Amino acid sequence: MKRLSRTLMAIALSATCVAILVARREDVPVLAASLPKVVLSAEGLAPRAIEQRTGEVVTHDYAQAWQDLAGALNANRADLLGDYITGEAKTRLTQRISDQKKTGLHTLVVDNGHQVKAVFYSPDGGEMQLEDRVQLGIKITDGEKTIYSADVTQKYLVLMTPGADRWYLRSLESVPDKAF
Amino acid sequence: MGRTIFHLSAVLLASALPLFAQAPALQVPATVTAGQSFAIPRNGRGTFYLVGPSHVLKQNVDAGREIAIAGRDVSTSGTYQAILCGSEGCTSATIQVLSAAPERLTFLLHPSRVPVNTPNAVNGTAIVSDRFHNTVVAPAKVDFRLSLAGEEISTRSVQSVRGIAWFEIGSRPKQGSLQVTAALGDTTEPRVIQQVASEACGLRMSATPGPHAVTLQTDPIRDCAGNPLPDGTIVSFTKTDAAGKSTVDTPIKKDRATAKFEVSGPAHISVACGEALGNEISFAGRP
Repeated sequence: MKRLSRTLMAIALSATCVAILVARREDVPVLAASLPKVVLSAEGLAPRAIEQRTGEVVTHDYAQAWQDLAGALNANRADLLGDYITGEAKTRLTQRISDQKKTGLHTLVVDNGHQVKAVFYSPDGGEMQLEDRVQLGIKITDGEKTIYSADVTQKYLVLMTPGADRWYLRSLESVPDKAF
Repeated sequence: MGRTIFHLSAVLLASALPLFAQAPALQVPATVTAGQSFAIPRNGRGTFYLVGPSHVLKQNVDAGREIAIAGRDVSTSGTYQAILCGSEGCTSATIQVLSAAPERLTFLLHPSRVPVNTPNAVNGTAIVSDRFHNTVVAPAKVDFRLSLAGEEISTRSVQSVRGIAWFEIGSRPKQGSLQVTAALGDTTEPRVIQQVASEACGLRMSATPGPHAVTLQTDPIRDCAGNPLPDGTIVSFTKTDAAGKSTVDTPIKKDRATAKFEVSGPAHISVACGEALGNEISFAGRP
């Protein structure tokens, strides 16, 4: 009986994961017009399983956070960070924008898509950790002069926390290639 | 036609030169620990930039002098671009700043109140970071110490994974303040959970007939582990007679709940507290 229960739970969990993957793959083209492409995999997520709706919301809000981030870094406007980015991530990006303003730099981020894996979801649902492998085109300009331009694959360790009506990007840290 | 193509190619090449013409390569360390100062050798003059996750540095550099990077300029872990622009164009190199030694804990404990003896009811998550608030990805040992007044302290040691250590336990059988402390070396983060009595157990009332009404009083109301339910917990007395059902909700005061009912004919009175049902008392007629 116990084995059957475990098997059913495993099937249900797998189905949920697949559903999230499938749902995202179907949803992404719709979102592509306005938001970066984010594909979330929740396979093996522990210790709490993710509901499909939660997966959809996290995916959307993470994409929204990246769109805000890119807009803020390009326009040097920290006020664009407020809706989906909070905590340490917001503090750091605000500081970066402040420094960019002082030095006359702008960063253009072309977001070419994220492969995101949810790796930790706390038992009380209060924190979710993600690993993100993102393709970015980055151009840094000093005034009119381009000082850096590259297409890069960057890995990020991400912490998302739920708010009243959305998930917030609380921590965004780029990590070495071999990190995951 | 050939000459035009040649001219166009020359113009395109010339426009690309400022960006792609390679100034002498920057010799930077591949990795640096957050907060650690370092120097970049330099042979030439121009403008040096260090662009990191939370900081941008821009300075003019002279020929033959090292570019000194202070620890405060690399306090945030992550990927940095070191860029040097001179008359020959710009050259860049990537520096990965790694988190420093684990030193801080962010500790979230859930919930703030919990009934006693409930499986997997208490959980905590600790996030390990260095003194600059960078998540420490390398494993670190976090101790979760649990102590309840009158009981021995128990400790759970958990190795963090990607900076996160967590635990989940059942609540203890005895009510009171459960102190849970997350510890990382000398750093401790204490939190408190209030363990409260669970559902009533063995709920029982007795009746005392009076001239006009019957007075009902429960025995001291406790959970199955013997913890008294807190004052204010609602107890429901329900009378069923020929007129139908009537219910009186009354709070526990000093471990007991009391109520009065007028009984004018055959009646049943029952008592309940939360999900716990108590005994029933039947009356044949006027008390």
